[in-house]
Formats: sequence, structure tokens, C-alpha cells
Amino acid sequence: MERRTFITTALAGTACIALGVNYCSSDYIAVNKGLDDKHRLLFSVLVPVFLDGALPDVATLKRDAINRTLDAIEHTISILPQDSQAELEQLLGMLEGRLGLLILTGSVTPLMMRNQSELIDMLQSWRTSYLDMMVTAYQGLRELVMASYYSSPEHWSRLHYAKPSFLEDRP
Amino acid sequence: MAIEDPIVTGLDSGWAHINAAQLSESQTLEADVVIVGSGAGGGVAAEILTQAGLSVIIVEGGPLKSSSNFNMEERRAYPDLYQQAAGMKTADKAIGIFQGRAVGGSTTVNWTTSIRTPEPALEYWSQSKSVEGLSRAELDPWFEKMEQRLNISKWAYEPNRNNQALKQGCEQLGWQHTVIKRNVKGCWNTGYCGMGCPVNAKQSMLVTTIPAALEAGATLVSQAKVMKLEHHNDKVFAVKAQAVDDNMKPLAIEVMFKAKHYILAAGAIHTPTIMLRSKLPDPHEIIGKRTFLHPTLLSGAVFSDPINGHSGAPQSIYSDEFVWQNGADGELGYKLEVPPIHPILIASKTIGYGKSHAELMEKFNQLQVTIALVRDGYHENSQGGQVKLTENGFALDYPLTDAFWRAARRAFASMAELQFAAGAQQVLPISEGMPYLSSWNEAKKAINEMELAPLKTVVASAHVMGGCPFGEDPKVSMVNSFGESHYFENLSVMDGSIFPTSLGANPQLSIYGITARNATRLAEKLTA
Repeated sequence: MERRTFITTALAGTACIALGVNYCSSDYIAVNKGLDDKHRLLFSVLVPVFLDGALPDVATLKRDAINRTLDAIEHTISILPQDSQAELEQLLGMLEGRLGLLILTGSVTPLMMRNQSELIDMLQSWRTSYLDMMVTAYQGLRELVMASYYSSPEHWSRLHYAKPSFLEDRP
Repeated sequence: MAIEDPIVTGLDSGWAHINAAQLSESQTLEADVVIVGSGAGGGVAAEILTQAGLSVIIVEGGPLKSSSNFNMEERRAYPDLYQQAAGMKTADKAIGIFQGRAVGGSTTVNWTTSIRTPEPALEYWSQSKSVEGLSRAELDPWFEKMEQRLNISKWAYEPNRNNQALKQGCEQLGWQHTVIKRNVKGCWNTGYCGMGCPVNAKQSMLVTTIPAALEAGATLVSQAKVMKLEHHNDKVFAVKAQAVDDNMKPLAIEVMFKAKHYILAAGAIHTPTIMLRSKLPDPHEIIGKRTFLHPTLLSGAVFSDPINGHSGAPQSIYSDEFVWQNGADGELGYKLEVPPIHPILIASKTIGYGKSHAELMEKFNQLQVTIALVRDGYHENSQGGQVKLTENGFALDYPLTDAFWRAARRAFASMAELQFAAGAQQVLPISEGMPYLSSWNEAKKAINEMELAPLKTVVASAHVMGGCPFGEDPKVSMVNSFGESHYFENLSVMDGSIFPTSLGANPQLSIYGITARNATRLAEKLTA
């Protein structure tokens, strides 16, 4: 369903690309917001790339870890201050829209239709961009994904870490 | 094991606490003194003023959380106890800032390091910033008083392995190092100070001065975000606060406070923000300017033996080898310390993703981290940042200058040299493009050539200072050396915002000592 929404998106005029990010940021043209207002689809594509090698190897455990991370991301976004939340929504909205994708990635192909190496190339181009906007987009998403993933005690086994257990009355 | 929660016990015994989020209608409260903020400044002031027989209301924007809430997990501590869930950043996002936001302020979450204000800082303030009466000799009795009050003493146990590496490196290289004094009583040495002490050993404001003030009849109002001071001529006549929910979202309840005297102690970001929102007179345009951060660089090191940086007192050794090396206003100096190492903290303050990130995290327990806190605010090319109002709050602009980057390069080199001297197998300066380095010789060359830039180099801060400096000359200060406003007869400022420069040392004891002095003087005036 979501994939179809991506594909059947109407084309917006290209004139506003030249006007830059802010003008285009509020449009939300690709994903039906009613179906995915928490950006889970978008993050379900990004999380495995950011956390490649850190996620569990076993498929079912990996799926559970991704789902927990998506829940944590949703929670993290909900507690961000108003300004940060607005900035993040702007970025996520762009990544879910063709126009925004074109501006940020140079291609209108929806992220979920890109393969792992294309997604790595995308993150790498943001990370090393000479435009601060791209670098902050990369860092903002990275920090959100990392903080959300490592918030779950279930995800600490590869770290060989657990919190002390002397206070069992405080789950 | 069940640990008694002194806050729960105190509330049960009848302490006056109002959670503004639970009020059903707007209210006005009155007292002799209203204190905005409950951190190092507000807490100490509250205790001293109540002991002098004055009625006191403490207004805190954050929630009242206590040991039964502290479960040693970052996912709970950061949203509950830190500004912006520990994700606060400067306007260009180049510096991440950790600042407390709960009853007890940053003292609830700091790492307990307690250092008297360094003499070169006090001398500089006296000579260049018109601060009077704050020589070390004059301040030492106040530091002694607060050290006794908060059980501040030299850490008598072995440093944890993370701090031990810092010590060993210093010993090998003949660098100055000091065993840290900590404000703890019966510390369990677990390493979770940054998430709220789970066993009430840390002598934060939350378990010391604020309970003492409440016991003596003070009122605590939490989740009440102060929006502005109402003022006319040379008098403040009210403080207006808005109730906020658990996520700091505003509620439709307003609480008004009226007092004979008002104290701003909301920290070096929020005190200036409140002043700016209140449009206080500021003829020399000082408010919110010269905000200092001790901008901090990180250097990771992989050791062959377990470091377990999450375990044990987080800070027990520091090195001042490079802090004042070039004089107060010469090239920027830096203090060497170590941070605790916890999963979210380390994952978010390192760089990269995918395989390289996974490889780093697999070394989690072998990872030693050294930090260099750069002493800002003295050199002419280090004038700090500026707090500005935005539509929904504030922004802190903090340009990282050439002088800072020169210090950063020296600091990365010092940290790598130290870590190799302590036996590190590899060193990883936390900056884009830097590989794992395998020897001091390799590191020296790579660091000399490394690209340093905002957003490429990880820079963090846990110390916010300045923005409302003290001094006798109104051209360079907002309040006098006792923290009393130059413009309002019933307004004082008692927090880290009064520092005219950074300190070159972790700030809590400076705030405790100077507040003790200034609040004692205020109590004398108000009870005369």
C-alpha cells in the first residue's frame, strides 16, 4: 500500500527546487500521512543501514530489534522540543516526498526502492557534503537512530554490557 | 534492594510541593523571596534564606524526580532529567550541550567533580572584569563551608580503570594530575551519577539543600516554567510562570509569584532567556552575550584489558597540565578528564554508521575515553556565544573560532600522547576522517594534518556559564559582585550565568561557594 502511494505520487512543479528547502519542505506529497504519520516506513529503510553489523544476525531477532527501534524513534520524536520536532518533521517530510528526495539525494526514487549500497552512498554523500544542511540532516538522523537503538537493554548484548542488578525494584 | 527515597519520605511528612502540571486553575503565590531555579545556585540560596527565617518559594521548570525514579537507564534519565532530553545543541548544531532540567538542576545529573574556582580565573575577573571581593583568600571560607555541607572530599578509593588510564598517562609523561574531590556520602561506586544517583549518595541539591529548605517551610513549585519578570522602574513586582506537562509542553495554567526579593538561578541559558523575554533594561547590550561552554573534544582509545568505563566513580582524576600553560588570555588551554561510558552517550558522541560503528561498539568495554575541556572566554579570539530569543524559545549561537581549533589540535595530540603512554593499543580522535591510530608517532603526524571543523569534529559541553556577568562596572556587567542587579533593587542572580569567563574547572563548587557568600549577604540585608 505504502509503496503504491510512493509510486503514484503526482509530480509537483520543478520551479520550487530553485527556491530551496524551506519553500518545499511543507509539502507532503508522497506518503499518505493517514497511513504513516510516524515515519515508520522511512525509518524501517534507514535503521538497517545505520545499524548494519550492530543489529542481531538472526532474522527474527533482527526484526524484533528494528521494531523496538522504530517504537523508540517514535517516542524520541514525541518528546523533542517544538523547534527540533519541527526541523525533524521538515526533513522527514522531504525524504518522503519526490521533490525533497530530489533536493536531498539527487533522485526521485523512493528510499524504500533503493538497495543497500545506494542508501549507503546517500548517507555518505550527506556525511561528506560541503553543505551544512546535508551534514546536519545526516547527523540528526544518525543520532536519532543510534540513541533510539541503544535505549533498549535488549540491544546491549553485543556490547557485553548490562546495568547493575542491585536495584531490582526499579525496572 | 530497597533504598529509602528521602524525597518521598519528606513529601509524606508534609513538605510543601506543588506540581504546577496538576493545578486545575491559575494561582498566585507569595513569599519573602522567590527563587527561579533549583540547581547549584537556587538550592544553596534556598537553604541559606530559609535558615535566616525568610519565607521562600523555589520555582523549577523541570519535574521533581528522585531516587525511586532513577533506574540507571539513559532512556529514562535523559528525557526526565536533562534539557531537551540531552539533545540540546548550539544553533548550528556543532556543539551538543548536556544541562540538567529537574529539581536539583544539573547537580542531579553531574559527575560530582568539585573544584574551587582556579586562582587565575579570579585574578582575571578582578583585573579585567571589575569583580571585587572575590580573591581566593576571601572565597576559601565559603568553599570550606560548602565542602562541609556537601561532604566534598578527595575520592579515597582506587580510580576506575578509565580514570586510571588518565593517571598512568600523566605519571608516564610527568604531567600534573590531581585526585578529584567529590560531593558524595556513602558512594556505592557504581558509575551512574549522570542518570540521577540511585542510592542518594551524591550530595546534590536534590537531597541536601532543597530538603533542608522544605523542612524549614519553603515551598517548591515544579513543572512551572518561568516566562517573564514583571517590572516597573527599579522594582520587579512579579514572576509569571506557565505550567508544563511531563514533556515540557505548555499547559493553560499560569502561576504568578510575588515577593520582596527575586533571585534568578535558572542557569546560564535560561536566566538570560528570562531576562530577554522580560525586556529588562540593558543599555550596554550584555544580556545573553559571552556565553561559555568549555567546548570539549573526545579521544577514544582501545586497550587490551577491560576498561568498563560505565562502572565506578565517573571522574576521579584530572590533569591541569595544559589549562593555564599560556597565561589566562594567551592561547586557549584545556583540562583533561574522562567521562563515564554508557551506550547512548558513546553511540551518539562518536561518528560513522554501519560496520565501522558496529566495530567500535563491539569494543565498548575495551574503550577508554579522554576528554579535553577548552577554557573559553579569555583570549581575544574566544568571546563565547550568544543566547537569543526565537519564536518558541531560545537559540545559542556559539561560533567555534580559529583560536578554539588551534587548541583542539593541541588537545587531540595531548590526549593521544597520554593514551599511548597509558598503554593504549589504538587511539581514535573523534573527528570525521580520522582512522584508528597505532602509535604516538603516527598519531602526531595525523593529528597535525587532520581537518578540524564544526560538524566534522565532535564537540560537546556539560558546563554552561556566562550571559549575565557580575562586576562593579555596569558597562561590562549586569549584576554587582554580590549578584545584585545594577538596575533593580530587588533582583539578584545566583547561578553560573554570572561568570564573566569560563572557569577552567568544573563549575559546581564555584557556584556553591559564591552563592553561599552572596545569599548570606542577601539574607542579612533582607532581615536587617
